[in-house]
Amino acid sequence: MQFDDQGRVNKSKKRAVFNQPEAKNRVELFRHLPQYEHGSQLTDLESKFLELDSMHPAVYKVGVQYLAGDVTGGNARCIAMLRAFQEVINDYSTPPGKTLVRDLTAKISSYVSFLIECRPLSMSMGNAIRFQKSRIAKLPLTLSETEAKAALCNDIDRFINEKIILADKVIVRHAATKVRDGDVLLTYGSSCVVEMILLYAHELGKQFRVVVVDSRPKHEGQALLRRLLAKGLSCTYTHINAVSYIMHEVTRVFLGASSVLSNGTTYSRVGTACVAMVAHAFRVPVLICCEAYKFHERVQLDSICSNELGDSNDIARVPGRPDVNSMDNRTNEKNLQFLNLMYDATPSEYVSMIITDYGMIPPTSVPVIVREYRREYLLI
Amino acid sequence: MGAQKKRAAAAAAAARVSEDPDDLARQPLQAILLADSFTTKFRPITLERPKVLLPLVNVPMINYTLAWLEAAGVAEVFVFCCAHSKQVIDYLENSEWFSQPNFTVKTIESHNIISAGDALRLIYEQNVIHGDFVLISGDTVSNMSLTQALQEHKERKKKDNNAVMTMIIKKSKPSPITRQSRLGTDELFMAIDPNTKQLLYYEDKADHSKGTICLDKMLLAENPSISLHNDKQDCYIDICSPEVLSLFTDNFDYQHLRRHFVKGLLLDDIMGYKIFTHEIHSSYAARIDNYRSYDIVSKDIIQRWTYPYVPDVKFCGNRATKLERRGMYRALEIEQSRSAQVGSFTVIGYGTKIGSNSKISDSVIGEGCTIGSNVLIEGSYIWDNVIIEDGCELRHVIVCDGVIMKAGAVLKPGVVLSFKVVIGERFVVPAYSKVSLLQQPTVHDSDEELEYADNSSGTVEFSSIQGTADQSNGEMTSESSEAHKPKLGTGGVGYIWSICEGGQEEEWRHSVAPIPEDKLTELSEAMDDDQELVTQDRTALSTSGELISDSNASEGDDNEDSKDDSVYFEKEVEATFLRAVEENVKVDHVILEVNSLRLSYNMTSADCAGAVFYSMMKLAIKTPHSSASELQQNTANIITTWQKLLKSYLLEIDEEIEIILKFEEMCLESAKEFSPLFARILHILYDKDILQEDAILRWADEKEGADESDKVFVRQSEKFIQWLREASEEED
Repeated sequence: MQFDDQGRVNKSKKRAVFNQPEAKNRVELFRHLPQYEHGSQLTDLESKFLELDSMHPAVYKVGVQYLAGDVTGGNARCIAMLRAFQEVINDYSTPPGKTLVRDLTAKISSYVSFLIECRPLSMSMGNAIRFQKSRIAKLPLTLSETEAKAALCNDIDRFINEKIILADKVIVRHAATKVRDGDVLLTYGSSCVVEMILLYAHELGKQFRVVVVDSRPKHEGQALLRRLLAKGLSCTYTHINAVSYIMHEVTRVFLGASSVLSNGTTYSRVGTACVAMVAHAFRVPVLICCEAYKFHERVQLDSICSNELGDSNDIARVPGRPDVNSMDNRTNEKNLQFLNLMYDATPSEYVSMIITDYGMIPPTSVPVIVREYRREYLLI
Repeated sequence: MGAQKKRAAAAAAAARVSEDPDDLARQPLQAILLADSFTTKFRPITLERPKVLLPLVNVPMINYTLAWLEAAGVAEVFVFCCAHSKQVIDYLENSEWFSQPNFTVKTIESHNIISAGDALRLIYEQNVIHGDFVLISGDTVSNMSLTQALQEHKERKKKDNNAVMTMIIKKSKPSPITRQSRLGTDELFMAIDPNTKQLLYYEDKADHSKGTICLDKMLLAENPSISLHNDKQDCYIDICSPEVLSLFTDNFDYQHLRRHFVKGLLLDDIMGYKIFTHEIHSSYAARIDNYRSYDIVSKDIIQRWTYPYVPDVKFCGNRATKLERRGMYRALEIEQSRSAQVGSFTVIGYGTKIGSNSKISDSVIGEGCTIGSNVLIEGSYIWDNVIIEDGCELRHVIVCDGVIMKAGAVLKPGVVLSFKVVIGERFVVPAYSKVSLLQQPTVHDSDEELEYADNSSGTVEFSSIQGTADQSNGEMTSESSEAHKPKLGTGGVGYIWSICEGGQEEEWRHSVAPIPEDKLTELSEAMDDDQELVTQDRTALSTSGELISDSNASEGDDNEDSKDDSVYFEKEVEATFLRAVEENVKVDHVILEVNSLRLSYNMTSADCAGAVFYSMMKLAIKTPHSSASELQQNTANIITTWQKLLKSYLLEIDEEIEIILKFEEMCLESAKEFSPLFARILHILYDKDILQEDAILRWADEKEGADESDKVFVRQSEKFIQWLREASEEED
């Protein structure tokens, strides 16, 4: 939805579950994206808990978790959503005079729009929802309600196991072959697949060093760093400002991705493009680790058309440093707009290789996987 | 005359206190730097050179402290020198510290000082401190800004004249397994008022075995809120008001800054002096207390946490060093072979030569060292002019100036080589050993007083050595090498010190070497066991707690409880007795101690007699012996020595019978070795007049009706009893 289209925005507001005050100073270039005032939504949503009869508690819980930022990361969010849908299906009974196929699809659509309100969907979640809906649509009419429900729950389990958990294991095996003794591996932010790769390679006894590059405001790398250190890896921690300094000694860059688009563009945590470009300039191979269910047939050339905007307060404020908080009370100034982008697009020429559950492929082969993969999941 | 002087000083102090606080604010900030730690943790190195002059990343420690004091805005520093004072003063005179503008360094020298308390008393007498001052020891590294802490201190002082000290603390969580901080110091418990930041409780020697700490309940009654921390590190930087010095003078028994002064102030509620804390977050402050903190602080300096006091920034006394990637600092004019690998976080000093295929990582190499080929150096601190020949291996060690390691020598983790030691070819120095040219001073008890005295004797020892060492170094080395040739391999010179303080067991705690893995697992297992014990204890406690509140408690439970008590009592008595034996405490004192134990555990004198006898027998059986007769001899000796103690509890015949019963029980259970000797020892006890014949006869009579199994010992001593009976009949 284009958020600069006033009419449609008003319409969607009527349907909205809870109030989302729009940001006062919206960034002009990103008017088409939802820009909300952060902070009040969670309490608003919590206060409406008892009014939301139509909402399944499991979905509500996941929604609150998205909004509060308790569940983050593509895989975690996707699994949380699918598990919620599983509960929805288990508790579902077809109302009289309606068919399961139509009614359940509508119900899931309404839940999805609630989840979008809480936080825009990731492309991987979009794929999962598409899969879910197609499974419902393709249910044989001969099945009884309980059989249909069991079949759908089973499908969700299979999706989680095969497309996410097993896929990760396969990726880890592939990627570990690319880690050699004496390597210095750089990673940016915190990607669960990359973490698994590093730990697995360490378990294999490979001698390597890790450089964790992090950025404000989320500092996701610190959590990753702590887990790596606990396992005894030798790490260097730095911020993205210093990436051009540290790239000098790096031999390989491992990056996670939120999604890979069919023109080979990697859509990932903001800053990934910068790291990939610096690595490219230093002739350091960039390996993107991404499960195939996150591939999308969309083509995107920039990170403006589609993106997510975070809380502008996060970048205005420096926690723990009262001496540098000069921006604190300026968030409402008219001629100042804060832009906290969540994602960026890395063009395919900066990516050396994409490691996926189908093997290690160049970015140009993504459309093939998208095509094949699609056919496959229709077949499940 | 002296008394007059003192009175004048006291009057001056009073006048100072009453001065307007604004005047105080305008006064230039002063500092007292104690250039002596008054401990022996850095022995054997500190026998030859004072701790403050030991190089920390190639710069003597005192320079870090002085540089920080200068940067923090201190105008005048009094350096208090005690051990090796001449060396400290000579060093300062030759350094640039005496010629700095706006920063004066003055030295105060004294030789007969044995503690920080004495030092402060002496400074008070000299009457040189006129306002608030910073109290610091010369082994502290910091880069914090004093402005805020000083401001807070002054504001508090204005409001409350009793706020005499602000202590700097920093967050640092101790390891739950080893119960010590990152710097190798003991776990520290502090209670702090979260609002006023007042320090209410300070305990660095908490008893871990019980897993509890005791707070005075008045603390909770008097303060609306208390936060109890064990995640803070004491930086040993104090901002003090001038009253602190007079407090030391008033309480002449204050020796240690923390153990006596801080704790004394916290306990003393008459004067109402208060100590406050100031926590630093992003800046650095740490004191080098032991070898582990030496290692950790060195690493922090190399990793630049102490910026600007890092090797590549010239602050004082360090040579130009270039920082390369991954924390490699290289001074000028280094000769390094192409094939040598110098790894990350390494400092290499001026004019050092490194041979081919040598590997160096995480280490500090001093100036003018010569390192041969195929040498492996890992996590070690090598000071100046050290010669390491081909094929040596050094892991986590400290090597002082002028050491020579012959080819193929190996230093295991935790080794400390003091000045000019020579390690022979292919000699392996065992882990945690300390090697010095000086012989180990005679073992002292690690009692406080003695420790201090020990240190001052170190000074004397040193001065005598310096006399000879300077002129006749060669003589001395040859002499000692002859005496101790086999100890350090062929051509080795020096003595390996036997580990005395705390024993080998505790050596790993303070060593430069990281704590070995197996130790950690062992400790964590022990900790699990402890926790189980604690939970068990708790349940036991809760039941006894109920007993107190419920007067109708069943008899059986009560008995169980007292049984528990008696076991503890016995253990306590045994410990007291063993200590008495070891330290040769007078019998009268032991009697006093046991009596106090008896009162606190609410025991009868029969219990005491039993317990004392039990500990004596325990001691006898522990004394090495090869045969039964030898054991008997031992027992006889012990009984002779301690009969007075035992007799003081044998008021009536009941107690004597108790002893026999106890002995019987021991022979059956804990000390079966005694069982063949039962009759003979009974005889000894009779001979020494400990047991009267009545007691023995009554015991025999009592046993008359007992089971066969119970009568084993009566049978054994049948002859003796028979003899006794006859004797008494004869008398009749």
